[in-house]
Amino acid sequence: MTTTWPLVSVVDDDESVRESLPDLLRQFGFAVQAFSSAEEFLDSECVRETRCLILDVAMPGMSGPELQRELTLRRREIPIVFITAHRDDSIRPRMLEQGAVECLFKPFSDTALLEAVNTALGVD
Amino acid sequence: MSEPAKSRIQLPLEAFPEGAVPLESIISTQELRNRPSRPPEYEKENGALVALASALADSPPTILQTLADKVLELLHADSAGLSLLTKDEKRFYWAAVAGAWRPLAGADAPRNFGPCGDVLDRNVPTLFSHWERRYPYLSWAMPLADEGLLVPFYVSGKAVGTIWAVAHDERRKFDAEDLRLLERMSRFASAAYQTVKFIENLRLEIAARERAESEVRELANGLETQVRARTQELERSTRELLVTNSKLEKEIAERKLVEERLLQEERELKRSEAFLAEAQRLSSTGSFWWRVATDDIIWSEEAYRIFEFDRGTPITLERILTRVHPEDVKVFHETADRARRTGSDFECQYRLLMSDRSVKHLQVIAHGNPDQSGRPEYLGAVQDVTERRLSEEALNKLRSELAHVARVTSLGTLTASIAHEVNQPLSGIITNASTCLRMLDDEPPNVEGARETARRTIRDGNRASEVITRLRALFGKKAATQESLDLNEAIREVIALLLSELRRNGVILRTDLADDLPPVAGDRVQLQQVVLNLLLNASEAMSGVEDRPRQLVVKTERDGVDRVRLSVQDSGMGVDPLELERLFETFYTTKNGGMGIGLSVSRSIIESHQGGLWAAPNDGPGATFAFSIPLGPDRPAPLEQP
Repeated sequence: MTTTWPLVSVVDDDESVRESLPDLLRQFGFAVQAFSSAEEFLDSECVRETRCLILDVAMPGMSGPELQRELTLRRREIPIVFITAHRDDSIRPRMLEQGAVECLFKPFSDTALLEAVNTALGVD
Repeated sequence: MSEPAKSRIQLPLEAFPEGAVPLESIISTQELRNRPSRPPEYEKENGALVALASALADSPPTILQTLADKVLELLHADSAGLSLLTKDEKRFYWAAVAGAWRPLAGADAPRNFGPCGDVLDRNVPTLFSHWERRYPYLSWAMPLADEGLLVPFYVSGKAVGTIWAVAHDERRKFDAEDLRLLERMSRFASAAYQTVKFIENLRLEIAARERAESEVRELANGLETQVRARTQELERSTRELLVTNSKLEKEIAERKLVEERLLQEERELKRSEAFLAEAQRLSSTGSFWWRVATDDIIWSEEAYRIFEFDRGTPITLERILTRVHPEDVKVFHETADRARRTGSDFECQYRLLMSDRSVKHLQVIAHGNPDQSGRPEYLGAVQDVTERRLSEEALNKLRSELAHVARVTSLGTLTASIAHEVNQPLSGIITNASTCLRMLDDEPPNVEGARETARRTIRDGNRASEVITRLRALFGKKAATQESLDLNEAIREVIALLLSELRRNGVILRTDLADDLPPVAGDRVQLQQVVLNLLLNASEAMSGVEDRPRQLVVKTERDGVDRVRLSVQDSGMGVDPLELERLFETFYTTKNGGMGIGLSVSRSIIESHQGGLWAAPNDGPGATFAFSIPLGPDRPAPLEQP
């Protein structure tokens, strides 16, 4: 735990994720902001403050990987944990290769999430 | 010599009066010889003859008068003249008179009652004295003749008249010299008479000839006129004939034309009748005519065929009713009654129950018109729509099958999509449950938060359950089958389903299906689903196209030796070559509200048929989607769905 609570942002088009995930993350002690699309996140102030991004892969409009590339272009190197409901074993290695901290398949456990976020935040 | 006009001077005629002296008593010819003869005056005589000759030459018409004058002169007579027998020989005509009796010229006297006749009868020159004693009418010729010397003259031996000299003074007595002179004159008279006669005849002849000529001329003129007139008439007639002829020719030509036209029309009529009959046969449409007033019904050949009545047999409503399906009799009656009452157009459908228990579906349309009596008269068409009904039913069945398959995807793609659908709520459940537990573990337990997350857990659980239910409903169990099928036929069935949809979207469909396409093996319904997806996608891809035809080309062909290929080419918005592969991702869509699942399912189906499905941009606008599958009549076993 740190004295200043790091901001974790959640970007997912699925509403139930946006409802449930922030509560769990707060339970872990993080500050949380949820966004329903990549575009919404990019337009917000949180881009600069976010210490960890929990990002859905497949979304209408800009997809997760596309947001990742956009942030790279903007030199906003935010650690990213991808989440996806589409279980494809080839996705995880690809995501990790492209710089993701972790790629979690829905549904995932609270510990797997905490582990990934901590990794992202550089906390052991 | 011209006949005298009936006596200008008529001497009174008397029959011999009682006591008329005999002829002999008035003739004193004998005395001539007894009287002393005066000496001849030859010079005077010659002069007279020369005058006569020249008169004869110069003016023949006056020769008789000249002769009378010369007799008077030579004989020293008181009167002299010539009497000529008329043509009918009944009278004497005093042709020329000189001296005291000159005014009597032109008079006439009877042939048989006068001195002239006596002279001709006696045929000798005769001297008369006081002839009025025998012929009283001569007393009218004044002055009275004391003596009269008459000499007959002849033409061709026939006495034609007398030449005479009269002495009124009893002191003047004719003698032998007078007789000689008168005889000489009489010969001249004969010549003169002949000349005159000749001239007269000539004149007559000439006149006659002239008359004849003029008649001829007139006749000729008349003829000419007639000929001219006739010629003109003929010319006119000829012209008229020509005109008439040309008119006739024209008329004949026109009539021929009319006949030809009639023939042509007849041929065309026959042809259109044939066409109509053929069209009626092909379309299973009969026509009918129904006069309500008399219930007369006339049917076309096809109508007889539809009802299976012998052609030409009389048709009545009762007869028709024997064929109408019992369940439709009521409808039939209602329609007929309404038609009778209103005379307005009607349209109805009913069934026939044929003798072999088969059922025919009929569609009837009729147009009503009032007849002469004002009652309705109907002209209508009756169509056997049984086959259409049957194919509609078949089509509906096929459509529902296809609709079913539209929901059924191949299992391989389904695994992912079902997992996705279920994983979303599962993810919520687990996260919420985890949160709930953590809240309960808090010191103090965050009961309110836990309750909230527990509620969400339940909600997400229900949601997962709904997804499962929905998926089960969506993907009803349907075993894939394997059969040998004609891809073209399968495609045509799909096109038949889609035609109205394509039309509504303004799509121009062109099919180019190979005639010699061998059968393929596969699941007919699944392949049709793929085709349906491709066609719908293509149609949708062109929905925004306004500046060019929305053309859709469906083509089948052999692909190498052991495959067939279907390609669907649109002229739509096209696809980005870089995006091509993503099109086939399960949830990829370029369309708002699009399913997206179509292409991935389609590819899955095609792959299950050992085939491939791909997309490529066109050279021009639009894209082409195609699949290729192997021929498979002798593929041994049905394909398992992946």
